[in-house]
Amino acid sequence: MKIVKKAKENIFLIVVAVAYILMFVIKPNMGVTSIKNSAYYIKEMLMIMPVVFVLTALLDTWVAKEKITKYLGKEAKGKGIILSFVLGSISAGPIYAAFPMCVMLHKKGASIRNLVIILSSWAVIKVPMLLNEVKFLGFKFMAIRWILTVIAILVFSWITAKIVKDKDIVQKEEKISELTLNRESCMGCKLCTKNYSEIFGMQGKKAYIYSFDSEIDKEKLNQTISACPVKAIIFNE
Amino acid sequence: MDIFTIAIWIGTIIFLIISFKRDKVKTKKALKMAFGMGKGMLGSILSIIFLIGLILTILPPENIATFVGSQPLIIATVASAAFGTITLIPAFIAFPLVGTLVNAGVSVIPSVAFLTTLTMVGVVTFPLEKREFGLKFTAARNGLSFIFAIIIAMVMGVII
Repeated sequence: MKIVKKAKENIFLIVVAVAYILMFVIKPNMGVTSIKNSAYYIKEMLMIMPVVFVLTALLDTWVAKEKITKYLGKEAKGKGIILSFVLGSISAGPIYAAFPMCVMLHKKGASIRNLVIILSSWAVIKVPMLLNEVKFLGFKFMAIRWILTVIAILVFSWITAKIVKDKDIVQKEEKISELTLNRESCMGCKLCTKNYSEIFGMQGKKAYIYSFDSEIDKEKLNQTISACPVKAIIFNE
Repeated sequence: MDIFTIAIWIGTIIFLIISFKRDKVKTKKALKMAFGMGKGMLGSILSIIFLIGLILTILPPENIATFVGSQPLIIATVASAAFGTITLIPAFIAFPLVGTLVNAGVSVIPSVAFLTTLTMVGVVTFPLEKREFGLKFTAARNGLSFIFAIIIAMVMGVII
């Protein structure tokens, strides 16, 4: 069961690994080239990801929810939109570097629209990138593309906010629920193991939680909890 | 490293020092949180990176450019947008490539479609984005970005 679950979580990694193995068997040269091509991206990731994670965690620790809600929430309106563009534009690294930061900002009250603006401008509007564009395609090309991109982001971030609601976004915190069993008070009646054998088992003369994951039947669990004669099971959603 | 990356590093280090001076326990907790985030995302990020390496080997950007250059406008636009969607290419490769395309007389429409979808829409980053934000958000953002990338390209074709 555990292996299947682990494999399911990492299905993408497994598919890529299998593709590489196949490639090395069929065309070893191409396999080597692929690894070489990946090296640049590894470097790019190592340059930005550690600092993004630390910065996200620090902001999460020190910036109050009210502040984020005030500056990036729905009520922030135009100011929030401008701030989001600035945040995305002064960033660095590929778009996935924006994911942890945006998850944290949303948790603290940033609106969906501003989230889309930050992600998109993080991807497309970056000063070093714009300079590069001027060099190869000319100033006029860059300026027109920049203006059109900003307009496009303004429009589709508004549409996204109409389609997607806050509750559609995965809230990791909610998923972490805690189930505890007080073994001091358990008297070993085995009722819980009979009611919900997937979660509860017996260890010696007392019950214990032998497997608990997010896929639980809440109703069944609540019944099990109320059936316990000594109320030793506590479930915090 | 460009100046922005360096600035983020310096800013974060200063932030970390101040944080450490103000509250050691909280800072340690934050660092643990950062480490946990990294551990959680590492597998997905590595998959993305190695997948890009693979795609670039099977479909080298230069070959795509040659192909796009010889196609009628509509096919060229769709093909370059699609190619931009499935991969992520650093700007220092993408801009010179598109520069040569435009200089060789290829219309700006496919070139712009390629440039915009390249960074904004991601098939390879889709699984990770879905895990972090949910399917609806990810599908809406990527879908709309793709549509607007083509609109931007067409408007630019008219203007330039």
